[in-house]
Amino acid sequence: MNGSGERSIERLGGLIHSMPKTAFLFLGGCVAISALPPLNGFVSEWLVFQAILLSPSLPQWTVKLLVPAVGVALALSATLGAGCYIRAYGVAFLGRPRSEAARTATDPDRWSLGTMAVLLTMCLMAGLLPSLVIDTISPAAKDFVGGRMPTQAELSWLSIAPVAESRSSYNGLLVFVFILFSAYSARWIIHKFGSARSRRAPAWDCGYIETSPMTQYTGSSFAQPIRRTLGVIAFSVKERLDMPAPGDMRPARLSIEIKDRIFDYLYAPLTRAVETCASGLNILSLLTIQEYLALVFGALVFLLVLVAI
Amino acid sequence: MNFLFDLVAQGAQMLLALALAPLLIGFVRKLKARLLHRKGPPIIQPWRDIIRLLRKEVVLAENASWLYRSAPYLIFAMTWVAASLVPTFATGLMFSWAADLIAIIALLGSARFFLALAGMDIGTSFGGIGSSREAMFGSLAEPATIMIVFTVSFVAGTTQLSEIAAYMAGNLELRASVGMALVALLIVAIAENGRVPVDNPATHLELTMVHEAMVLEYSGRYLALIELASALKLLLYISLIACVFFPVGLARHDAGLQAMAIGLGAYVLKLAIGEGLLALFETSRAKMRVFRVPDFLGAGLMLGLLATLLVFVTRSL
Repeated sequence: MNGSGERSIERLGGLIHSMPKTAFLFLGGCVAISALPPLNGFVSEWLVFQAILLSPSLPQWTVKLLVPAVGVALALSATLGAGCYIRAYGVAFLGRPRSEAARTATDPDRWSLGTMAVLLTMCLMAGLLPSLVIDTISPAAKDFVGGRMPTQAELSWLSIAPVAESRSSYNGLLVFVFILFSAYSARWIIHKFGSARSRRAPAWDCGYIETSPMTQYTGSSFAQPIRRTLGVIAFSVKERLDMPAPGDMRPARLSIEIKDRIFDYLYAPLTRAVETCASGLNILSLLTIQEYLALVFGALVFLLVLVAI
Repeated sequence: MNFLFDLVAQGAQMLLALALAPLLIGFVRKLKARLLHRKGPPIIQPWRDIIRLLRKEVVLAENASWLYRSAPYLIFAMTWVAASLVPTFATGLMFSWAADLIAIIALLGSARFFLALAGMDIGTSFGGIGSSREAMFGSLAEPATIMIVFTVSFVAGTTQLSEIAAYMAGNLELRASVGMALVALLIVAIAENGRVPVDNPATHLELTMVHEAMVLEYSGRYLALIELASALKLLLYISLIACVFFPVGLARHDAGLQAMAIGLGAYVLKLAIGEGLLALFETSRAKMRVFRVPDFLGAGLMLGLLATLLVFVTRSL
């Protein structure tokens, strides 16, 4: 944001060319927060899922039936989170720049980059060596909930297995090495036996010629399918198309109305209740002196009765 | 010696998955063509295409970034690793404990993440349409998959795929919850692989494109890798369905060569049956509108949730 001086995501784009280092670090952060292996977000998600799988042994019925619903909510939010970060990264960093500010943006100074790099390294370490992290924080967890997982560092090959070795295990390091190995061997084999040549040309885009960068997918167009499928339930989204009659020169407009249900059904009644109380109590400030004295006396009696009981 | 045998078995499985995946695509294309009274290309054709593509030079769009160039390798590697962690002919292979079912699903999620980003990198509207639709499908398909994983894991008591397969092979019985999970998994598999009612892998018509729109700008070796990855993904889903719901003939990792050969035969047979059903289903269905797909996937999600709740209720009584 600092590098481009632009706050609206709809006017960014192509930052991967102008801010390459930031783009790389930001990508790492996106992968981590979207709970994708082999970074740390996935380890946490995996542990939560393992905990959910233990829930049939819980004694309370309500909790027992609530836990799978929490599982769905978690899975849904994880994938929606991933979609959200595809959108954020894709619109801001990828594609073609949508404004001059995005074209001329530069990487921030060394200190800002360093901070991001340290944080990303921590994400990577926690993702690859989760056993060490779990062992480090388990004393705190023990104080909080009174139980702890078995010590993870003793397991072979730095894998984690929260319950027992035979049930479920995950090894971030091995998966990471595996992915890197397959990717690099594929690259080596292809470059050796296939072809390593490449040539630059204008984008193909099904034969359309180069158009304005404004024709790219923006954040709101990217979100449109998800808004249509889930937005109606979650935010009671209404789309209205204002189409002028033939001959009318007015432009057609598509407007979207989004309501926050939590605001409508939780906060709005609360504010209404406070307002009715306040306007009801307003008459108290217009009483005569006798009425005030009577009110104070009544209140005192009431309080004394309360104390006596 | 034992260690060496395990290593060879694991390597064999990785190579087997890689070798079989394009053949699988070729087989389903051939079957579909035969069902439509056409002759169809030979089964080996996808392999020929891939080798041909690998030899060609890449035409990169002018503003393609490093992400766009490394994404195919990452997508291929993640899908391949995920596919080689699913038991094909034998359970309990050397690296099968490195990642469980949840991790395999998440690896596919990672591959999807990078594919969607690569679709947006060139900055054309086709890439964007593909990516945004893929994100929408993914946001419904992944929770459904997780629900199926829950159901199966509650029944088997573990998320480790080899253990699940071994448990299912040892306790062959009919369960309503597992049946629901199977139907849900079939729905998810069709959607995730972009097969007919959801997406048409054979078309480049803009209104129907999801997967093909994202990879529109790729060419040469990058395209070959992505094609290979999507073939591996189809193989993965069929293997997953086969090993969890029909674990007949699976060998244990210490069972010796003969059992493994039987396992291999059973596996190839299962793949062929799965492909036959897929081809039959695809030729008898029309593609649905994009905004009908969430209903289809939503049915999968609900079935998964119902199956999980059913397991919970029956388990606790």
